Amino acid sequence: MILFDFGYERAATAEEAVARLARLGDDARLLAGGTDLLPNMRAELAMPATLVSLEGIACEPPRALADGSIRIDALTRLADLERAPLIAERLPMLAAAARAVGSHQIREMGTIGGNLCQETRCLYLNQRHDYQFAPPCFKRGGECCYPFPRNKSDVCWSVHMSDVAPALIALDASLEILGAGGTRRAGIEDLFSGSGLRPLTLGPAELLRSVTVAPRPARWGWGFHKSTVRGGLEYGMSVCAVALRLEPDGRTCAEARIALGAVRERPLRSPKAESLLAGSVLDPARLTQAATAGAAEANPLPHHGFTKRHLSDNLKIYLRRTLEQALSRAREEEGAC
Amino acid sequence: MLRSDPQARAALKAPAQVVSLRVNGEWREIAVKPRVTLVEAIRDLVGLTGTKASCESGTCGACTVLLDGRPVVSCLTLAVACDGMEVRTVEGLTDGEKLSALQEAFLEYGAVQCGFCTPGMLMSATALLERDPKPDRETINKALEGNLCRCTGYNGIVDAVLAASGQTRPRKE
Ligand SMILES: Cc1cc2nc3c(=O)[nH]c(=O)nc-3n(C[C@H](O)[C@H](O)[C@H](O)COP(=O)(O)OP(=O)(O)OC[C@H]3O[C@@H](n4cnc5c(N)ncnc54)[C@H](O)[C@@H]3O)c2cc1C
Ligand code: SF4
Ligand code: FES
Ligand code: FES
Repeated sequence: MILFDFGYERAATAEEAVARLARLGDDARLLAGGTDLLPNMRAELAMPATLVSLEGIACEPPRALADGSIRIDALTRLADLERAPLIAERLPMLAAAARAVGSHQIREMGTIGGNLCQETRCLYLNQRHDYQFAPPCFKRGGECCYPFPRNKSDVCWSVHMSDVAPALIALDASLEILGAGGTRRAGIEDLFSGSGLRPLTLGPAELLRSVTVAPRPARWGWGFHKSTVRGGLEYGMSVCAVALRLEPDGRTCAEARIALGAVRERPLRSPKAESLLAGSVLDPARLTQAATAGAAEANPLPHHGFTKRHLSDNLKIYLRRTLEQALSRAREEEGAC
Repeated sequence: MLRSDPQARAALKAPAQVVSLRVNGEWREIAVKPRVTLVEAIRDLVGLTGTKASCESGTCGACTVLLDGRPVVSCLTLAVACDGMEVRTVEGLTDGEKLSALQEAFLEYGAVQCGFCTPGMLMSATALLERDPKPDRETINKALEGNLCRCTGYNGIVDAVLAASGQTRPRKE
């Protein structure tokens, strides 16, 4: 039940949606699946005067481009992504990440664009009972961060909980962003500002139109793991997504991409861990060393009742396991060629 | 802008829009403000109270309906966004007084106790069986992960779905 009135406009094309946003100004928000925005409106964390609905815009199914890249429309529902044969065959990591989100109802509704552009979360911010103590914190223009009262007003430790973003970062995806002035391209990592107060770098009248992933090289493997308590319908405790490419000898790492989700204000890369892997022979000791370095440099924020210590330990273990998964997939793939 | 700011709230008055919905095969026209959710429209305007609203934040699944065949949580769906769409609710599963095979299996396997989760469970399970007529236990668990039940402990529900898909013999001969 949303208690305040708002206007609702339907855009027939992405260009029209952007034009409407530009005309309506700050008070308007895009509505895709609504699974992130509507709960936030219900809790009055967002109170847009107008929603510009994207539901009338035709959504192209994922397709392979001439150069072998795969283009995914930002309006693709997560369930369609998970089921698309092209994705299952060419980008199984992305299918696994989409399948990890929420419940099947959430995946039937939520889009990949909305997943990347979701608000950051924090137990204090997202509490929803009227009887709880809930004066506005910094993120809502208030005077204090109640869970972390020593934080300054420019620091908000809300966490970006997307499961899909880490997978797309490990896949080095690029984005097509439509603004009033035309289309620009950006790497997926540039979408996130790193600030919990305003987690995205999108301008007020910009729309994420598509996500493109370049073809996978040879001797390449992936690993993905979302840690949860119950194993279903839950935001992540942490998300590890890794991609490894091997040299022709099948033992030395040519390139490593590690992305961690649900641990900071933005999905993170792990540059130290990556540089420990690239150029070295991947034996178990090396993987453990890299995972330990990755957990340390991530410096996870305590969130949703999990302590920093718990999350660091979790990352150490699951980063190692996802690296092992990626390594064995890269080796299998070599065997297949 | 907070709820304590009446001026800002007053400025947000939005007119109602007329929406056509095909509810369980019958076209209905309703006038809704954009803020009205599909579950509110189904219960209060269409008058079908089988669909339940509980958490109203997408976490319990009690409000699950099939919207153009997709299982969605109707508490996070705006009714204005459903213009021209087909909605199936738990009332649409029966053929007159006759229950569907899935509903019969729910009764037989003790999948219903207080019954609050049942309409949502039935709709999620119906969507699953339409896509995958012979799901295994794990697939059923995954498909029902968005439907919470505080009474049955879930096993009866999963057994019922297995039975309805003809994979186990009926319990009573
Ligand atoms: C019960 C529940 C469980 C959930 N569990 C998870 C989970 O486990 N993992 C997870 O990652 N998420 C989870 N979510 C969050 C959310 O459902 C998903 O992230 C979903 O993919 C959001 O997509 P949407 O299309 O519904 O977004 P919307 O709610 O429509 O939009 C979210 C935000 O993105 C903006 N936006 C949407 N599309 C675009 C676009 N194309 N360009 C620019 N801006 C855009 C909107 O303006 C809005 O601010 C959960 C939500 C619920 C209710
Ligand atoms: S961490 Fe951010 S969202 Fe959470 S209470 Fe502090 S300021 Fe608010
Ligand atoms: S009432 Fe809709 S999911 Fe709980
Ligand atoms: S039967 Fe009571 S909640 Fe499921």
